[in-house]
Amino acid sequence: MTLTKTPEVTPKARVVERPAATGLAWLYFSPTMLSITVWVYGPLVFTAVLSFLDWNLVSPDIEFNGLKNYETLLTEPEFGNAAWNTLKYALFVLPFATVVPCALAIALWKRPGRVSEFYRMLLFLPVVLAPVANALSWQFILDPLYGTLNQVLGFAGVEPINWLGDPATALPTVVVVTAPKVVALNTLLFGAALASLDRRTVDAARLDDATEGEITRAIILPQLRRPIVLLGLLSMVVVWPWLFTNIGVLTRGGPSNATDNVYYRLYTYGFTFFDAGTASAAAIVIALAFGLLLTVHTLLSRRFRATR
Amino acid sequence: MRRGDAIGRHLLLITAIVLMLFPVALALATSFKPVSTIFDLNPLPFPASMENYDLAVGKFPIGRLLWNTFVMAAGVTVATMLVALPAAYALVRFDTARGRGFVLAAVGISLLIPPQALIIPQFLMTAKLGWQGHTIGVIIPQLGVSALAVLLLRDHIRSVPQSLIGAAVLEGATSWEILRHVVLGVLRPALGAVAILLFISTWNEFLWPLLVMPDPEDTTIQPGLALFVGPESAQYGPMLAAAMLASLPVVVIYVLASRRIADAFLHSGVR
Repeated sequence: MTLTKTPEVTPKARVVERPAATGLAWLYFSPTMLSITVWVYGPLVFTAVLSFLDWNLVSPDIEFNGLKNYETLLTEPEFGNAAWNTLKYALFVLPFATVVPCALAIALWKRPGRVSEFYRMLLFLPVVLAPVANALSWQFILDPLYGTLNQVLGFAGVEPINWLGDPATALPTVVVVTAPKVVALNTLLFGAALASLDRRTVDAARLDDATEGEITRAIILPQLRRPIVLLGLLSMVVVWPWLFTNIGVLTRGGPSNATDNVYYRLYTYGFTFFDAGTASAAAIVIALAFGLLLTVHTLLSRRFRATR
Repeated sequence: MRRGDAIGRHLLLITAIVLMLFPVALALATSFKPVSTIFDLNPLPFPASMENYDLAVGKFPIGRLLWNTFVMAAGVTVATMLVALPAAYALVRFDTARGRGFVLAAVGISLLIPPQALIIPQFLMTAKLGWQGHTIGVIIPQLGVSALAVLLLRDHIRSVPQSLIGAAVLEGATSWEILRHVVLGVLRPALGAVAILLFISTWNEFLWPLLVMPDPEDTTIQPGLALFVGPESAQYGPMLAAAMLASLPVVVIYVLASRRIADAFLHSGVR
């Protein structure tokens, strides 16, 4: 009985289990596809068109400007400076996106339990904190005259430093203000990458008298190579809005454009100078540069996999 | 683990936590100090004073701003879940449907486009629709980032046991019934975590509400705070008090749900 029944049920079950109902699938896809078409891909095309126009966002005269906006962008020193600063921001952010959270996640992973849960909760808190509140807290600490930091350094005989007002220190200071968010998010994501690691290999190594340092170097780190690259790259997507808020609240791109970057420049062109054309050209340059970065990454990682 | 290693481990974690949280902790303590001692190095706010909070509430429409922020965050969360859930479900369930690869690519690429590159057209579109100054104008355009929710939810839906779905299919359930009763039933905690994260990140949104609702009296809390401070006023006491009020709701939500949020991340597919 069972023998004759089984072959009847299985193929039928498989057929209904994986329906190829394309029309129905698209019904489910349509809300998302509609949203991203209207609010992402549409605007992207719109930005590309605007980048060839001369327009102040409000007046009815819109003129065709050819490649002039791109020319302005590439010849004016402000955008070059912003691009250079963007690179500096990326470089300063990178350790906070990779080394620091990686170390913290490994420390959390090594001894799971209540204490680690509690640490994990506190470590993620900066992601949640209101960004403007964070920026204002720092403004209080960094105040050149009465700020906590300069008062404490004063005891060590250090002259007051105008952290956000001195072009030499302003950019690194903005990065330090933003760093907790990056560290917090990536610690959790490294934790996710570690969750798939086999604990028994580590237990075995401990039984063999391996030191914790050896275990980290020989067993854990080699398995984190891909997540390190991935999360370093991810930080280059998520960090800019956070930096933007801190720049907007603390420095507004100053002093003398020292904390400007391409995203803040785009905003300045668009919403301070109302120059839609140049702002859009900047947006297109940013999107292209970013696309290039991703392509290089994809090609390199494919090559890397092929040679292994 | 040897004793020295264990101590080193705690030291590393505690140092990181202190470095990351002291600015906010200091701001919290300072917000309770009376105005006259605000720059004292003694961080402890005793005797505590509500002076700064009174001043902040008096000169800053905090109730209005918090309400707007709540409407925006709740609106974006609900709308995003409604939009993203069916797509995430269909990506898992109809895995032989034609165009599935196209949808996946469209969703993934949309996340990689820098959002700042889109703000000018998005701003013009909301202006054209007459949404400037209205919460709907801050809610609807943020559906553009629903792609992230699609990918997160897809990972969770993939973890629903096939046998459960198979059983529902054999009983003649339609795909919609399976989504409503089986998937939503099993995934309630994970979906809750995704919704909470969406709520928190929308609550903290700065640039977009600044563009759409630029009136300091009627905007959301993040730009509201920034506009309240302004370049000329260095009244730290009330400013820090307002900043604490702006963070309080999300911090409470986070502390209550932190286990869930961590779990949702730890089981997502970052590998």
